[in-house]
Amino acid sequence: MSPWSALRTVVIFVYVFMLGPILITAAVSFNASNRSQFPPRGFSLQWWQRAFSAEWLDPLVFSFKLGVSTALISTALALPLAFALTRYRFPGRAALVALTLGPLMLPALVTGVGLLQVLQYAGLREYLGFSALLIGHVIICLPFAVRTIAISLQTLPPNLELAAASLGASRGRTLWHVVLPLIKTGIVAGALFAFVHSFTDVNLSLFLVRPGEQPITVKILGFLEYGFAPTLAAVSVITLLLPLGLVAIVERVSGLGDFIYGARGRG
Amino acid sequence: MARDHGVIGSAAPEAARQSARVPWLLIAAPTVVLLLFFALPNALLLSASFVKSEAQQLTNEVTLDNYAFLFSWSLYIRAFIRTFIVGLSVGLLDVVLGYPLAYFLVRTRSRWKGLLIALALAPLLASVVVRTYGWYIILNRFGVANDLLLGLGLIEERIPFMPSTGAIIIGLAHALLPYSVLTIMGSLQGLNTNLELAAMSLGASRTRTFLNVLLPLSFPGIAGGFILAFSIAISAYATPAILGGPATQMMATAIYGFMTQLLDWSIGAALAVILVVCAMTLAYAAARLGAREGAL
Repeated sequence: MSPWSALRTVVIFVYVFMLGPILITAAVSFNASNRSQFPPRGFSLQWWQRAFSAEWLDPLVFSFKLGVSTALISTALALPLAFALTRYRFPGRAALVALTLGPLMLPALVTGVGLLQVLQYAGLREYLGFSALLIGHVIICLPFAVRTIAISLQTLPPNLELAAASLGASRGRTLWHVVLPLIKTGIVAGALFAFVHSFTDVNLSLFLVRPGEQPITVKILGFLEYGFAPTLAAVSVITLLLPLGLVAIVERVSGLGDFIYGARGRG
Repeated sequence: MARDHGVIGSAAPEAARQSARVPWLLIAAPTVVLLLFFALPNALLLSASFVKSEAQQLTNEVTLDNYAFLFSWSLYIRAFIRTFIVGLSVGLLDVVLGYPLAYFLVRTRSRWKGLLIALALAPLLASVVVRTYGWYIILNRFGVANDLLLGLGLIEERIPFMPSTGAIIIGLAHALLPYSVLTIMGSLQGLNTNLELAAMSLGASRTRTFLNVLLPLSFPGIAGGFILAFSIAISAYATPAILGGPATQMMATAIYGFMTQLLDWSIGAALAVILVVCAMTLAYAAARLGAREGAL
């Protein structure tokens, strides 16, 4: 066996390890029995039917709303921040970089505990639920958006801005007509990464939920403590397909390419 | 590619840098948000860990008791050790599994390359909760692994694979593998194939080329992938909660316990501070090893 085909065998094994559990989960969701059995006994859509009941749709919609709001707010905050960090040198810049990337370095779980304690000690417990989750998610998603937008700003030739300026365009005009259109893909990618990170988070959300206002991940985790049912498998598949579809659409429309590397970071 | 240039970390391009004034208008809103909702909570958490608390309210009593408590119970000391072992094992497993895959993805000339890369990264789009559920289906007493082994006649009685530390390690290694693959790919991508060809043309065997050329040159990626997986693993909650149990406490599950069940927030804060110190030490080590990401 040549070294390359030996490598290929190892790679196939790694792919099976990576994708096997996800495929098994999908298969189990069509199970006819009420255990999480594999291979599935018989075929049934009953678990999918249950997955589309209010019990599961509500947290799913909640997560979606939270993800979209998080993506919009963190991108709006990240855009000027990334611009300032890539285009200006100013006192305190290094500290601001550290502050911006801090939520990426610190475990999200700790950020969640910190926010919960602040709300409690400040007597703002009633904000637990959507408001607190939104704040927490914006904080942990901000570094992703800043980094992605910074990459696209960095790859932009500075000459373009100088050219616009030398032709008499004001800074605002240069930004609006030259820079923004050119980094559009970076902005979209940043927003998308923020959405995905928010949609899949559980470590931070754990601490900031309230009854009736919890994202789908926390709902699934809570359900797992009482028992397992194939309904969960169906719900799991739905929560996987949603961001997957979104990424596929964005990739189609504007291409993500290099930004994937910018999205690397904490889970 | 931009990620090699230290996008945020390095100086801005000279030509585009128009002034040395602080761009207040640009940074004001994000800075306030970060200070108020990130720096402040963490500062409070740090101070709360040195204060005695009663019924979720802080008292005025400054104390080291919270830390002393954690280090005096074998339950928590075991949780520390278990967390460390899990982090170490997950980091090692992910590097061992991730390296061949990363090498393959960087060097393959298959026309499916794009799809293969997408498949390797797609798991990141699923929540860890969802991916861990797959392992529950496989590892539980009536799960796939047991059915398979029974069917093959390899075992006679069902084996409880979970809850166990081993199950947690497998689940986390699975969840964090794409991160190490990405990090290692990043360092392999910068390597010229000619280096390997040159070594081999000078008579080095494949093994020698790998050990003496490829491995040292891609070391930053390996160290980076290891540390990234390690540091995420030690703060993970969902996987230990699903695949573990009361006997396999880790730091994250213990923090959750203090915050929601035992309701001793000061001890929870102390535990969180210890977790942060561990994570920060790892991040610092990663930076020193040169495994820092450009844009990071």
